Amino acid sequence: MTVSDSARVEQAWALVVTGIILYVPANILPVMTMTVVGDIQPLTVLGGVQELYDSGLWPMAAVVFLASIVVPFLKLASLTWILLLHGKPGLQRERTSLRRIVHSIGSWSMVDVFLLSILAAVGQLGVLAGVQAEPGAFFFAAVLVCSLLAAEVYKPRLIWQTETI
Amino acid sequence: MRCGGRLKTSISGHSLQVAWAFATAGLFLVLLANFEPILTFDVVGNTQSNRIFTGVFELIGQGFWPVALLAGFAGMFAPAMHLGAIWYVTAACCLGLRWPHLRRAFRLVEILEPWNLVPVYAIATVVAVVKLKMLGTVAWQQGALWVIALSLCSLFAAQAFNPELVEEKLEVLE
Repeated sequence: MTVSDSARVEQAWALVVTGIILYVPANILPVMTMTVVGDIQPLTVLGGVQELYDSGLWPMAAVVFLASIVVPFLKLASLTWILLLHGKPGLQRERTSLRRIVHSIGSWSMVDVFLLSILAAVGQLGVLAGVQAEPGAFFFAAVLVCSLLAAEVYKPRLIWQTETI
Repeated sequence: MRCGGRLKTSISGHSLQVAWAFATAGLFLVLLANFEPILTFDVVGNTQSNRIFTGVFELIGQGFWPVALLAGFAGMFAPAMHLGAIWYVTAACCLGLRWPHLRRAFRLVEILEPWNLVPVYAIATVVAVVKLKMLGTVAWQQGALWVIALSLCSLFAAQAFNPELVEEKLEVLE
């Protein structure tokens, strides 16, 4: 299957815009509920970070905050910037290295998906303790997939194309 | 010079053997990391041992199969396929054998590289343990060591896998 270059740019745009839209529910909706000693707490991504921070584990809170909130945002923002400059001359080296950085740090946002899969393994252990996934997880996973595919579809060589399509 | 950047001209010789070795070790570790429990979790007498697939199945059970698919793919399937593909390509290059579908395996290595997320999984496990301590008693198991060993092997194998060198060898083989 071969895809024309202009189609690639369009696909990348579609994926990035979808990612940006889904980023909002991914961060507002709870991704899981934890039942601690009979007390049911819904947790958003940010709530999970807060909880870690409150228990005094700020290095871990920082890792999760960077990986699941900052990285997806930066990834979507830099892809938008790269796509806005598509077909224009200038800053091509910067764009190329930015794309490479996005590519290599992007996978770190999977921390939260793995975290959820490990925590959810607990399931419901009696009425006292349990972990249940919530719809926010769908959106979070979708944002990841969108930005990953967008970076994959928009090949580095397209940065060096200067003719406008 | 191409696109304003210098292309590599000299390549050190033994990197493919190194990649082959790490991929071989990694494939054994994939088995260990997937079948040994990583941690055990205990709440008022209910003990549970967790493996990578326990969480994946539980997420499917809760109706979150797309998330489960993503976790299972990036945590189990992609690392195994990635190491397998590296093993296949480097073994053929080192032994000078013309195995079928070498090109395809080579492509697969490149496609799967960003999906080999075992190191990220290892970090997620550490965070998960902290959170689970709020619910009950958590104990590390042998599997955790295998996961760490597997992430190191994957990183080293990917580092040593030199696409230009493979390209050269494949051209010679063909």
